[in-house]
Amino acid sequence: MKFINVAIKDFKELIRDRRGLFMILLFPLFFMVIFGFAFEDMGKSNEPHNLAVVNLDEGAKMPLTNDEVNYGDNLTKIISDAEYEDSDVKLFKVTETSESSADQLIQLKEVDAIIIIPKNFSQSIVDLIKSSITAQTMGTTIPSEYRDNTTLKLVIRGDSSSIAFGVSQAMLVKIVEEYQNGLVASIQNQASGTSGGSIKIFESDVESVAGTESFSQFDFLAPGMMVFAILLLSTTVGASLTREVEKGTLARLKLSKMRSFDMLFGALLPWSAIAALQVLILLITAIIMGFNWQGGLNSILLAMLIGVIGGIASIALGMIIASFAKNDQQASNLGILIAIPISFLVGAFFPLPQVVIGEFMGRTFEFYDILPWTHILDALRTVLIYGEGWDAITYDMGWSILLTAIIFIIGVLLFSKLRLSVDN
Amino acid sequence: MEDYIINAQDLTKSFDGFKAVDGLNLKIRRGEVFGFLGPNGAGKTTSIRMIVGLLRPTSGQILIDGQDINKVDKSKIGICPQDIVLWESLTCQESLKFMGEMYEVPEDILKKRVERLLNDLLLTEKADTIVSNLSGGMKRRLNLAMALIHSPEIVVMDEPSEGLDPQSRRVLWNFIRSLRDKEGKTVILTTHLMDEADGLSDRIAIIDHGKLLRLDTPHNLKKEIGEGDVVHMHLSDPDKNLEVINHLKNMDIIDAVMEIEGKINIRTLNAVGKLPEIMAELQDLDVEVEDLFLRPNTLEDVFIELTGTSLRE
Repeated sequence: MKFINVAIKDFKELIRDRRGLFMILLFPLFFMVIFGFAFEDMGKSNEPHNLAVVNLDEGAKMPLTNDEVNYGDNLTKIISDAEYEDSDVKLFKVTETSESSADQLIQLKEVDAIIIIPKNFSQSIVDLIKSSITAQTMGTTIPSEYRDNTTLKLVIRGDSSSIAFGVSQAMLVKIVEEYQNGLVASIQNQASGTSGGSIKIFESDVESVAGTESFSQFDFLAPGMMVFAILLLSTTVGASLTREVEKGTLARLKLSKMRSFDMLFGALLPWSAIAALQVLILLITAIIMGFNWQGGLNSILLAMLIGVIGGIASIALGMIIASFAKNDQQASNLGILIAIPISFLVGAFFPLPQVVIGEFMGRTFEFYDILPWTHILDALRTVLIYGEGWDAITYDMGWSILLTAIIFIIGVLLFSKLRLSVDN
Repeated sequence: MEDYIINAQDLTKSFDGFKAVDGLNLKIRRGEVFGFLGPNGAGKTTSIRMIVGLLRPTSGQILIDGQDINKVDKSKIGICPQDIVLWESLTCQESLKFMGEMYEVPEDILKKRVERLLNDLLLTEKADTIVSNLSGGMKRRLNLAMALIHSPEIVVMDEPSEGLDPQSRRVLWNFIRSLRDKEGKTVILTTHLMDEADGLSDRIAIIDHGKLLRLDTPHNLKKEIGEGDVVHMHLSDPDKNLEVINHLKNMDIIDAVMEIEGKINIRTLNAVGKLPEIMAELQDLDVEVEDLFLRPNTLEDVFIELTGTSLRE
């Protein structure tokens, strides 16, 4: 278990180098505060967002009266008519279209989001009404498949790196929630006397988001800042590993029974802790600066876990840098030269144009998706801005873990070959 | 049969065509202090790095106890590098403990060994001091302790007294002697200090231009260039040095005579008894001696005789 001894030693060195630690933790914090002030009010303007509605609802017949109803049309109208709070500006400029052309509109950036209403939307609601009437007359409860329906899905789709999509999505979720609450109330009224408890008619793929009116550009920048801070770790890790080479302490360790694994895995532990700490400190700073943080304590823990994985990717990048840099100054420069362009590439500062290279598991795979930090950023946004849980980020986490593992293996192989083997 | 712990066979190391070490053959006995002498750039550090397994030779082989260096148990060798190689933000105790852990020294043994090394190298009071707050001499002593924490059979010290004051040097020398005498360790020592090599080493190898020039006991080496004394003579008129040297060379009682730094350097046995005869010869030549002093032969004389006086970088 020599890697634990290495980790303890690295940890002691880290916390005793007050100035270094101060720089690691405060430098990104400084950025966060600057961006917080700069972008606090940006994006708050009350402009209608472009929305494509794909209404596949085939309608249904109401029980008893046999009237033709279409809840999809009803929801579309509500979305079209919705206005900003205390204003007569509409929330959305709605274009009704087919699913394929809606996807095209997203790619052309002509709409910010798509909402797809499924074809059995009305039928499912009617079925629920029927079952609640049955339950009332029979004196039983509504069967669970109607009470907690997770198969009926309203899909909200868009480019997750776009700010406008984030805002539209949050607004749509709110409208859908209200619509659902309204429907449930009316059904329960009709079927009063049933012990139905809470009823869920359909599930939208994002859950409740509050305070949508105040979304600003800063909300999208804050997770970006966290990824930027995590990426900068590669610089510090690279410099610290290069210092071991330069000062000869690595040669000392090479003569001992320590293996590459012990040294590099040992370094991983304290630096991952730093990554998690960075996410926490930056989140607190961002919240103070007006970040609309969603989700509870769990989302903080989840964000820290995401930070750790991003941190490991950065540590691996640091190993690659340390395999080539001649001294710690060079490692720092090289690190900055690599970390800053990557921050731009993963969209930490602003969204980038789409560069789709294929499709994977029903999602477009973009050029930037080959970098683990892109997925780290998406996951952080999903958790912190939309208050989502693990289920919503499994795709991104899967990719980021896979890509991080690849970079880590490359880092370990390079460092072992170029720095830890016998000199030639 | 003699018991050799290290056997370097035909060791060669080339860097971009330059031969830093050229066909070096060395056999080091178990339990001896082995001095490694040579001017700067002679190939000492390169040889040492190959012997401890940090550098791959271009050709040749190093056997430790008959086993190839690449297969040898790493805890057999301890190296104290020329530069101070320490983790600046750890304390003395933490540094030693960490290094011991890297050599898989069992915890109970490690604890005792850390205490003993700190005590032997006069660092007990500084056990909990951060390395960056230690004085230069203390850092040097800790640097040495780090090489011994796993109790290696072979201890390699690359210029260990560099930058030490005379007091610290004495502590170090006694420590090196005790490593050999009390613990039976083999010590390989590179140094520029001739008195250090002379006083500590059982045998000395002198290398230059990557080649082994001599390998013998200090006593035999000194005997080789003339047992006895050295007379330094400074003439009032140094232009006459050459003339005087030519005359003195013909005298049977003188072993060797050469010019070093503008002075005449005469080597002979029992110089005091021969001095009147030498002075008479000088009188005949009508040269005036401004200054003269006499000392016993040293290792430095051997070194200069073998490697010359030209400056190395």
